[in-house]
Amino acid sequence: MQYTAGTSVAGAARVEGVKYDEDIVKMFLIASVTWAVVGLLVGVIIALQLAWWPANLGLPWTTFGRLRPLHTNAVIFAFGGNIVFTGMYHSMQRLLKTRMWSDTLSRIHFWGWQLIIVSAAVTLPLGLTQAKEYAELIWPIDIAITLIWVVMAVNFFGTLAIRKVEHLYVAIWFYMSFVLVIAVLHITNSMAMPATLTRSYPVYAGLTDALVQWWYGHNAVGFFLTTPFLGLMYYYLPRISGRPVFSYRLSIIHFWALVFLYIWAGPHHLLYSALPEWAQTLGMIFSVMLIAPSWGGMLNGLLTLRGAWDRVRTDPILKFLVVAVSFYGMSTFEGPMMSIRAVNLLSHYTNWTIGHVHSGALGWNGMISFAMIYWLVPELWKRPLAHPTWPTAHFWLATIGIVLYTVSMWAAGLTEGLMWRAFDDSGLLKYPNFVDIVNQLHPFYWLRLVGGLMFLTGAIMMAINVFQTISRPSSSTAAAA
Amino acid sequence: MSKKELNQVLGHADEADGIEEYDNPLPNWWLGLFYFTIVWGVLYGINYHFVAHNSEVKTLAAEMADADAKWPRQAEAAAATEVKLTPEAVAAGEAVLTANCVSCHGADMKGGIGPNLLDTTWIHGGAPENIVNTITKGVPEKGMLTWGPILGPEKIAEVAAYVISKNHEATGTPAVGEPAAPADTTKAGSPS
Repeated sequence: MQYTAGTSVAGAARVEGVKYDEDIVKMFLIASVTWAVVGLLVGVIIALQLAWWPANLGLPWTTFGRLRPLHTNAVIFAFGGNIVFTGMYHSMQRLLKTRMWSDTLSRIHFWGWQLIIVSAAVTLPLGLTQAKEYAELIWPIDIAITLIWVVMAVNFFGTLAIRKVEHLYVAIWFYMSFVLVIAVLHITNSMAMPATLTRSYPVYAGLTDALVQWWYGHNAVGFFLTTPFLGLMYYYLPRISGRPVFSYRLSIIHFWALVFLYIWAGPHHLLYSALPEWAQTLGMIFSVMLIAPSWGGMLNGLLTLRGAWDRVRTDPILKFLVVAVSFYGMSTFEGPMMSIRAVNLLSHYTNWTIGHVHSGALGWNGMISFAMIYWLVPELWKRPLAHPTWPTAHFWLATIGIVLYTVSMWAAGLTEGLMWRAFDDSGLLKYPNFVDIVNQLHPFYWLRLVGGLMFLTGAIMMAINVFQTISRPSSSTAAAA
Repeated sequence: MSKKELNQVLGHADEADGIEEYDNPLPNWWLGLFYFTIVWGVLYGINYHFVAHNSEVKTLAAEMADADAKWPRQAEAAAATEVKLTPEAVAAGEAVLTANCVSCHGADMKGGIGPNLLDTTWIHGGAPENIVNTITKGVPEKGMLTWGPILGPEKIAEVAAYVISKNHEATGTPAVGEPAAPADTTKAGSPS
């Protein structure tokens, strides 16, 4: 059977008498563009601090140690979270042929989530932290996250319950894994006994605390930055390219394999620690088994583009998608390699880890988000982009920026990993003074800053483009749209 | 498989916002990779824990045995190295001190985080063997590193020679062979 792209109902604001809630999608989209710029800007500032220490400003609130969690929380939960919610509210109404179950819950979710982000932006520079990576926020904010998450989940499952279709499209399964698993992870890892309004003690002690933390930490990557973004890929990539998904079968198998295997892989963050070695082995081998299920997503993305490659050359949105999926494949190969004991011995605690995280976060999450934003803005506001040529410039800035970032961090990571373990002829450490190693890394820190600045510049261009597009009167362009 | 089976749409598009899905078979190389990682993971785990009986402790012991064979133990060697107050040793010691010691003992050696090296108080003994011992083993409870494995016996003897000669210059008292005179604790940098 020959495939014909697009039907007349696809993407329409109204179907069979249902009017979709477009406002909530617009709200989340504007929030994600705004937080993208904020989160990336803080990232560039802390990159500068590592290359040039006076940028710490000598103030406690602006030191690296306090701004670094602000950067990670802003990019993961503010930029990443808001773009996922943008895509969920936009695509699930269309996939389920129904408006969201409750507009009120949608709005409580939106404003609650933004309030949580603002409270994070206030408390982290003040030094209020639980000192758990990616779970730094203090207990009152943790409770707020739980409540808002429940609001979102009730609305999500309520909408599923009133859906007008039988079949659940693959994107919905990925969203579902996100909604369920993040709730379990957040609640389990944040269990703490409050002592004061801003301080608490974890209920787990010592090694158990470390294991729960990295079970959470690794699955924050798996179920916040991977499965919901795969859901977005499964909706937006075929919609934007107008091509059928390569394989339904592959999507089922890689979905179940991915969610089953991911949840075990956390202990690879604790190799060569006090964690019992059988648990370390489990973390390592489950990570290696994750290669194929991860690549299943990449394959289904890239093979869906068969027949659309000629357009990749000219369409910046497709370019963003291709690079996003490719970086997803690259970093999901690199991750399992780094979880192998012998490799981890060299890579752990080095800048290689930072490079790995950013090839995933900038390359996969960032690029797919930019594709979505550039495609959604003209769809939602029903007008062309104010600067139609800028996305291509943004694409090249971002791509070259990521390459500079990851290559400099690979080089820095290998350099310091090898220098730490080097012995001289008499069996002594060849580089006993830590500062000697730091001096070797210094040029790479500057190079990383250049890469980050390019990525930020692209994002600022996108923000200007988006805000100029939506703020100009629609009357002149509405007729053309 | 025949070409006919490829690229058949499932016909769910009306329930997926117009998105068509093919039901293509899993690529063989992808399946092969998946099976290979599973088999490899299981075999690795069985081998590591039940066949080779590997462990971090075992790996460390093997590496230490290797190191012992390659390089004689540093601690014994350190004890055997004599502090020589030759001009060459003192000059070499100055370089070692500048690179490693000034951040705590001060560029003028008059103390900072660590105690003053140019007074007559020797907290851990002022004889050359005491000084070498203090540097080699460190004073971990006060934050002084265990320099033995970092500097090695030769550099420790050199830096001790430099400290002794500078101290002699500053105080006019030969420190050699003299244990601490513990009365004076008011000097800058001396922990009380």
